[in-house]
Amino acid sequence: MTSPFRKTLIAGVAGLSLAGTVAACAPGSQAPSGTAAPSGTSSAAGGSSSTPAAPSSAGGGSYKDGSYSADGTYTSPNGTETVGVQLTLSGGTVSAVDITVHPSNPNTRKFQGEFKDGIAAQVVGKKLDEINVSKVAGSSLTSGGFNQAVESIKAQAR
Amino acid sequence: MPHPGWDSFAFEGIGTAWEISTPEPLGPAVRSRLLDVVADYDGCYSRFRTDSLVARLAREAGTVELPAGAEQLEAVFRTLYRLSGGTMSPLVGSSLEQLGYGGDYALVPRGPAAAAPRWEDVLEWRGRTLRTASPVVLDIGAAGKGQLVDMLAGALRAEGVTEYLVDGSGDMLHSGPVPLRVGLEHPYDPAQAIGVVGLGSRALCASAANRRSWGDGLHHVLDAATGRPVDTTVATWTMADDALTADALATALFLVEPAVLEEEFDFEWLRVASDGRASFSQGFEGTLFT
Repeated sequence: MTSPFRKTLIAGVAGLSLAGTVAACAPGSQAPSGTAAPSGTSSAAGGSSSTPAAPSSAGGGSYKDGSYSADGTYTSPNGTETVGVQLTLSGGTVSAVDITVHPSNPNTRKFQGEFKDGIAAQVVGKKLDEINVSKVAGSSLTSGGFNQAVESIKAQAR
Repeated sequence: MPHPGWDSFAFEGIGTAWEISTPEPLGPAVRSRLLDVVADYDGCYSRFRTDSLVARLAREAGTVELPAGAEQLEAVFRTLYRLSGGTMSPLVGSSLEQLGYGGDYALVPRGPAAAAPRWEDVLEWRGRTLRTASPVVLDIGAAGKGQLVDMLAGALRAEGVTEYLVDGSGDMLHSGPVPLRVGLEHPYDPAQAIGVVGLGSRALCASAANRRSWGDGLHHVLDAATGRPVDTTVATWTMADDALTADALATALFLVEPAVLEEEFDFEWLRVASDGRASFSQGFEGTLFT
């Protein structure tokens, strides 16, 4: 029971690393509470540790469905940054990852200036199966070796 | 299938999944020829095998003769090295290895971020001849997959195939009368897209910092001048006539302002910052969901 749950959190931590990666020195939004991740919902996840929020016991998957949130810190080249991550599990897999950035970096204002009015927008996600595309272009799915190593690191982190 | 009724040939190459789609199935001889193109490319440029030309350059200084096509790589890298003020460099391999992304896939940093050696200090690259003053870790990854896409398309045309989609896991070149609908993968959620682009007979390439990430703040798009990952941009897309150019520019957008690149390259671009804002050129107008 605890073991799958812990694995879930580890997956969350791995996701956190990704988030930290992209969020370091992130341009801050105008709102003092931080910046919404592209996936939409922001709602600063105040919890300082992982707090499962109303996990429902959906059968089948080895993880409990529900929303989980955690705050984490990481060290960016500009010092320690905090990021909030909310994972939504459904059917045993991560169906959504929401990231809330709490930028402490003064550079954030500067980067904001790079966006010209009229061409900046907040990106909005839609499920791939709703949009009828025949191909997807994004971060290239990477080599088996790389993905294996990431799995191995997750295992070590247990 | 990219288009109804097309046939696809799928295989693994240079560490990723490929799919080549054509109106008619490709025969065994053509398939074999395509796989040879991939194997030759990998055998030269792979950082992840010990028998490649690149591995030899990492062991000792010297001169190597690169395969045909190296002159195009040189031209693109040289221009982008200049436009980026040295922050985008084919010598960034040592910085990647320092952060743990080396042939052994340690994925554990060896130490603090380290700047790549400067091109002008260690590298003399003229067309297909490359001479080094010291052992260097050449990393042409920023443009290599795109070039291989172009080469595979060239191999198809040489066989008389004029309509195709060559897709190297998201970096693609399309040739055909009907535009292809391509989803733009959400930077934080691969089950979603942030837009759809209609791709005519052109190349579409993407670069993102989210997948090849192996630790806090560590991913594969580095600033060669500092050896540190770039963290203000999370995803970029480009369209150009060839995939080599589009691929290289997708990485360059992490390091160089689009307006600077537009002065020397004819291309379209879309860039998503780490706070989820997007900016884009005219060719991506109307592609994003609102």
